[in-house]
This record gives sequence, C-alpha cells and structure tokens, in this order.
Amino acid sequence: MGSKHKLTYAYYPGCSLHASAKEYDISTRSVCKALRIGLAEVPDWFCCGATPAHNVDELLSLSLCAKNLSMAEEVEGDLAVACAACFSRLKTTQHHLEHNDIQRKQVEKAIAAPAPVGKKVKHLLEILARDLGLNKLEEAVTRPLTGLRVACYYGCLLTRPPGVPELDDCEDPRIMEDVLSALGAEPVQWSHRLECCGANFTLSRPGVVLQLSNAILASARAAGADCIMVACPLCHGNLDIRQQEIEEGYQTRYGMPVFYITQMVGLALGIPTPRLGLESMMVNPMPLLQEKHLI
Amino acid sequence: MSRIGVFVCHCGENISRTVDVERVAAYAAQLPGVAYATDYKYMCSDPGQNLLKKAVAEHQLTGIVVAACSPRMHEKTFRKAAQAAGLNPFMCDMANIREHCSWVHENRDEATAKASDIVRLMVERVKRGKVLEPITVPVTKRSLVIGGGIAGIQAALDIADAGHQVVLVEREPSIGGHMAQLSETFPTLDCSQCIMTPKMVDAANHPNITLYSWSEIESIDGYIGNFSVTIRRKARSVDEDKCTGCGVCMAKCPQKKIPNVFDRNLGLRTAIYVPFPQAVPNTPVIDREHCLKFKTGKCGLCAKACGPQAIDFEQQDQLVTEPVGAIVVATGFDLYSIDRKPEGSSIEGYGEFGYGTIPDVIDGLTFERLASASGPTGGKILRPSDGKEPKQVVFIQCVGSRAREKGISYCSKICCMYTAKHTMLYHHKVHDGRAYVFYMDARTPGKCYDEFWRRAVEEEEAVYIRGMVSRLYQRGDKVVVMGSDTLVGVQVEIEADLVVLATAVQAQPNADSLAQKLGISYDKYNFYSEAHAKLRPVECATAGIYLAGACQGPKDIPDTVSQASAAAAKVMTLFAKDQLEREPIVARVNERNCVGCFACRKVCPYGAIEEKEIRDRQGNLIRTVAHVNPGVCGGCGTCQATCPSKSVELDGYTDEQIVAMIEAL
Repeated sequence: MGSKHKLTYAYYPGCSLHASAKEYDISTRSVCKALRIGLAEVPDWFCCGATPAHNVDELLSLSLCAKNLSMAEEVEGDLAVACAACFSRLKTTQHHLEHNDIQRKQVEKAIAAPAPVGKKVKHLLEILARDLGLNKLEEAVTRPLTGLRVACYYGCLLTRPPGVPELDDCEDPRIMEDVLSALGAEPVQWSHRLECCGANFTLSRPGVVLQLSNAILASARAAGADCIMVACPLCHGNLDIRQQEIEEGYQTRYGMPVFYITQMVGLALGIPTPRLGLESMMVNPMPLLQEKHLI
Repeated sequence: MSRIGVFVCHCGENISRTVDVERVAAYAAQLPGVAYATDYKYMCSDPGQNLLKKAVAEHQLTGIVVAACSPRMHEKTFRKAAQAAGLNPFMCDMANIREHCSWVHENRDEATAKASDIVRLMVERVKRGKVLEPITVPVTKRSLVIGGGIAGIQAALDIADAGHQVVLVEREPSIGGHMAQLSETFPTLDCSQCIMTPKMVDAANHPNITLYSWSEIESIDGYIGNFSVTIRRKARSVDEDKCTGCGVCMAKCPQKKIPNVFDRNLGLRTAIYVPFPQAVPNTPVIDREHCLKFKTGKCGLCAKACGPQAIDFEQQDQLVTEPVGAIVVATGFDLYSIDRKPEGSSIEGYGEFGYGTIPDVIDGLTFERLASASGPTGGKILRPSDGKEPKQVVFIQCVGSRAREKGISYCSKICCMYTAKHTMLYHHKVHDGRAYVFYMDARTPGKCYDEFWRRAVEEEEAVYIRGMVSRLYQRGDKVVVMGSDTLVGVQVEIEADLVVLATAVQAQPNADSLAQKLGISYDKYNFYSEAHAKLRPVECATAGIYLAGACQGPKDIPDTVSQASAAAAKVMTLFAKDQLEREPIVARVNERNCVGCFACRKVCPYGAIEEKEIRDRQGNLIRTVAHVNPGVCGGCGTCQATCPSKSVELDGYTDEQIVAMIEAL
C-alpha cells in the first residue's frame, strides 16, 4: 500500500477544461478525490489541436497529440481524459500511428521521439465504469439520484468512428446509462443520443447549431428527461449556453439543465455543490435539484 | 539410373512475368539425373501435353517434373499424360513455381533462383520415387443429403430418381427450409408453398428416400465411396409410425402461447406442435422446454386425447448409423441479426436501427410471413406493434451486406430482388400505401430480373431512394427513418409505419462445427468452400462431398436448384462405377522392424491402424505388429513422423525422398 490511491492516472485536462469548461475540471478533480482516484496532471501539456488542426494539416494535428502523449509517458498510469474531443484526437492519433507506417515515421521525425503508442488513453467514463467498477461506484453513492430522469448524450465523438475510441458499441453504447444507473438515477430511452449538436459551427454558422441542438433538446424532452448529461465541453456549450437562444428562436421553453458526468457523479457522492461548479451552468439546475430533494 | 524430364511452364505470363523460365530449364538440364529439360507457354494445353509425351519416348524418360502451378490444380492432368506416355503416373510430380514463387515474389533474379531450387528438390524426389499401383475400393451406392430445404430436397429427388438410395437428414421437425417460409417468389410471383410443398411430399414418399426429420449429424467416418454416418434422431416424444397427423393433440395442449419460430415469432404455437400446417412429415414434436408434462409432471392431455396412442413421453434420442458413398451438404443459411454485437463475433451490431427494441422494425423474412397466405396474419400486411395496416413502409437494403465496417464485405445477392418483390406484394395488398426503398445499387443479374425490378419502380409505384439510412427511432407510433438521398444530395426523413430491413445472408451458426465433422473447408464467413471457384463449383476439396445451395454462399432459388441438381449429377457420376480408384498414397508398415508399440494408432486421425499377429509355422504367436488398412488410410503421414523405430513409410513420401529434398536445399 505505497500510495493512498488505489488507482492513479496521468491527467490531460485539455484547453476547454481550463477555460470555458472549468466546472468539468473542478468536478472531475473533486470526484476523483472522493473516489481515491489519483490524477497527476501532465506537466507542460498543450492543446490537442482539436477540430481546427486536423482540418488544416493532418501531420500537425497528429504531431500535437503525439507530443502530448509522449510527455504523458513520463507520468505514471494510463492517461485520463475528460473532454470528448481531446479523447477522440488522442485515440485517433494512436490509431494512425499504429496503422500507418508512413505517418508514424513523419510524426516521429516531427516530435523527435518514438511514436507514443504504448500509453493507454482512457475516458473518465471507462475509469468509472470499468477500472473502478460500477459496483464500487454504487457503494460510494451517499445521495442516490432517485427519481432524476436523465437523457445521456454521447454526441458524435465519444464512440466514433468504429474501431478507434473502443469505448463501447459505437452506435448503441450503454456506458453512460450504466454509470447513471449506478448513481441511482433513471436514464431515459431516447432517440438523439448520438446525433450531432452542430459542434464548432457554433461560431461560424450558429443557425445550424440552433437547429441541431434544438432537435436534441426536443427529443430529450419528448422522452421525459429532466436534464441532460454530457461528456463534451462543446456539446455542453451548444446545449446549455445556447439554450435560451434556441428557446427564443423556436418559440419554446425547455429549461433543461445540462450536467457533465462528473457533476452528476459528484452530486450522488454527496460532494458540496460549490466543488462541482454548478454555479457556472447557464440553465440553473437548482430548482430541479431542490424539487428532487437532491440538495 | 534415372532419366528425368523437366518441363517448365510459362503459364501464359503468370510464371514467366517474374521467373526466367528459360534459365530455369537450362539450369534443370544440367542437374545430375536429368535427361531432358524444356519450357513451354502452356504446359497443360494439348500441345504442351504432347510435348511431354513425345519427350518420354524420345529420351526414354523414367520420371517427370512439371514446374508449373500447384499440384491441386494440374497434378492429375500431367499424371494422366505421363500414363498415356507409358510411365507410371506416380513417377510424375509438380514443382509449384507459381503459387509458391512467381505469384508471391517481385524480384526476377531472386524468383528465378527460387524456382530453380524448387525444381532441384523435386528432381531429387522423383529420382527416388517408386512405381505405385492405384488402390481400388468398392463404392457404397447410397447418398446422404444433409439439410431438407429446397437444395437438399432437389438433390435427394434427383439422386433417388436415378435409382439410388438417399438418406435425407433435416434438423427441424419438418423439411421445407426457408423456402417454405416465403410468400411469393421472384421473378414470376408464384406462390412458394404451391411450388414447394409438392416437392416436400415427393421427397417424403419417394421409395428411395429415407427421411430423418428432427435429426442431426452426430459424426462421420470413412472416405469417398465408404462413409459411415451416425445420425442423432432427437426424441420427438411422438411415435412416427403410430401418429396419423390428426392434430387432436395440438388442439388439447393447454400451452398455447409459445412464439412460433417458423413465423418469425409473430404467431403462436402449442407445446406439442408442427411448425406449419403443411409440414412434412405431419408428425408433431413435443417442445420439452415448454411442455407442462416435462416441466411439472402434470398434464398429459395430449396423450389422453391421442387415439392411436402415439404420444411417448419416455422417448429418448436414438443414434442410427448409415453407410453411404457420397454426401451432399445443403444446410442453407441464416439471416444476420442486427442487435448488439454478439460476444466474440467479428461482426458488428446495428444498434442505430433499433432492431429488437422498436417492434415495427422487422427483417425481410418476417415480412415474408406477414405476406404469406399461411402466415400469422393470413396474408394481410399488419404491423407487429398494434396490428394496424401500415400506410408508409420503408425498406432498407444492404443491412449488413457490403458493409465492411460492420465486418461483412460480400453482397447477399438476393435482397435487391426480394425487396422489389416486397414492394409489389405490399402494393397489391395495400392499395393506398406507399413503399420506399433505400438502396446502394440495384443488382439484378438474372433471367427476367431487371424487368422485374423495373416493374416495381415504374408500374408498382415503389419510391427508390439511392442512399443509406443512419438511424431509426420511435416517435409516437411512427418509426422515424433518417436517411440521405445521394442522387439529389439532401437528407431525408420519413415517418414510417413499418420498416423492413434486408439483412445479410449469413452462414448457419453451427456451420463450422458441421464442417469440422465432415472434414471440409470453409471461408472466413463460415460458408463452405468449393474445390475450385469456377471449374469445380459443387465439389468440396474433400472427395465424395458435394455442396448445394446457400451453405456455400448467398444464392436465390433458381441458382440453388441448379446447384442441387449439379451436385446430384456428381453423385450419380460417382455411383456409375462399381469400384473406385484411390491414389496409392498410403502408409506401409515394415513388419520386420515394427515393435508393436502402436504409437501410430494413437495419432492416426482415420482409424486406419489395425493389429496384425505374426505367427510361426506351428501357429504360435510371435508378436503383434501394426498394419495399415489401405482403404481407410488418408495418407497424412502422421504415423510416419510418430513411429519411434522408423517402421512406417508413406508411399510417395518416403523418408528417403524427403531427406534427399532437404539435402538438396
């Protein structure tokens, strides 16, 4: 028993978690602390390149991720990632490095280091559901989310493309629902779990985002959901920050709080709300949580 | 002193493109023991074979090496030519410089050097070859047909009509297979039952056919002309001889709500049941899992009601052994199930289509049952969820097929045609309904096929949308279909009442285990492999076993029937001889050396090793040695490799020959 932590990971927060999605970072750290999951932030990490890099230059985007992975190799444990986009880029990079010799050689030259294919990249969901295990998670729950009907929203990147993230069945995943059930909440069956929210068109063509995100919100409401749970800062931005605009544009009212998975887990673990960053949410979750007697 | 002739083939350009065949021939000519060497563009052609025959006479050759393709391709051809030239055919061998050399190498110098090496080895082998005489074995003129669908029935009828006995084995309670489930058939829309059931009756009543329904293959021993098949006759719990098929038992059975698999679980059946009213034989089976008598010990109403006392709860599985000379495998296909990915399968699921969770998403075979006059709805198109008549039906093609990312790359061949048929059947029955079809390509190669498809589009008002569907989901009582029209370049959303998926044709789930029992090969999708894709399409590489129908690959009814008749013709060809010549590549025991340890018997996969007693003149037993039954020996050589005293040798592959080849390397 050298460490007080049973599970330890290298941690790659990604840019969003230091900026627009601070609450995702705060709640991730709080939850991991409560579950005695050690997170050691990769020193000097930088942007994974996100969507822009691979649209401009594939080698650049692969090299950015490879360099980060290479630096992560210096830190003990698998690499924990919370942001769905970072997760996707890091996994995609490893997939390319493993399956494309030419690209691997180019990247190795660019980062002046061997291709970092050995570092296992894991999304927080995997860590909670598999490494820690659903049973352990359930045992740690002190305030079950009983009666809370949640629409689990995976978005595009978490499970796709086939064979790359290897998180779950890419068109019919269950890992989010499994985690939620362990928390005592009630995942709803709904249609738009894996549809696109419009992603970074939020800046260039917001009309597209309003349309797509509206379909997601409408479908979650039709399924009887009280709130939505996400694992991606960009999805969160489109569904939460843009929600009022969508409501105005489509002459409707959703009032649907959008939680990060770690915020939901934190609530169930009884972590005080300031340490979950709930105050950063644009759609105020407090009325819902009070109604369900969860705070 | 050997006088070997070496004949190097160009194989058009297949070999000569990478191998300098002239150099190989020149090299061979100077090898010790080689009397003559030459090259020719097509050695297997008539002039090529004549060249070989002429050379045997001119150069008094004692052995031949043909440097060409794989022996699987043309060994027989050249051995026949050698025999015609007066040589023992087993003094002719192939040096495989095509599959083993020219096809797999690029560098011309290296490939030429390797081809020369291969030729040198084979020359050493033929130099030490022995004159062998073919072994003759009797042929049992009875055939086994596995599977009682249209393929098996056709093959069985053809063989039986030729005057030979047939044992027809069917796993289900009734013969008929998938064809008995169909409504009407393309491209003529004749009713499947009307053309199928008479054939089923013919098969059951044929004096030369023994039908074992509700039976499975337990094991198979032997070889071409002399197989021994053990069949498990599963306990039916009904005496087939006594049962008159009156059906009173089924009327009395209190367990009436068991989903009927034959109706794709849309209809219900009793615990004692026949899968469909036209079943052959019309003898019910008790489903012991659901029968109250077997579950609780109480009930037995069927037995009380049965006039001829045919119900037998005590019946056990029986094993029967049948000697046969040939086997036709006609085990058919299964449909791709698109639920979540099965454990351990390389094939992905189709979670995005909600099959199994959305009740009004069904597969093509289920639609056949809905459209069938003898189906659970009496031929009315009614959707499963609420029994309403669907007014908008979306058909989706290529579900699983041609989807490499899901693990299947092949085309299932029948779906374009049956989907076109489905749209017509729907149009005929629901006049105000509309059928949409999402498709990738319409593939209609077949007699009157394209005309049929055009009729669906042009006269029967089916709306064909070229594009795929990304997701299906339930909205109210509708199934929302999200797809794309790639010809127009727009996204399409259709609110359907019913969605029909043309799921991929797959091999039967246990196809591999049957193949292992039979000793036949299968591809990565578990479809059985023919001996040659073009020239031997109905024979397995294993002699005496033939293929018919979709167990070999997706096939429609006309193709299946053609192949079944072809397989039957092959069986008849085999049965036209009383004696069968076998290659004399069998093991032989040196009885003076053998110490009788019988290590060989333990490893022999064919059970060919017998005990032979050596006695002195007074009849006293001196010792017991191993003896190889040449009729049973498969010539694998495992005994030769195992024998600790080196007392077994495989003719044609003696230690001397093998060692000489190694030394020449």
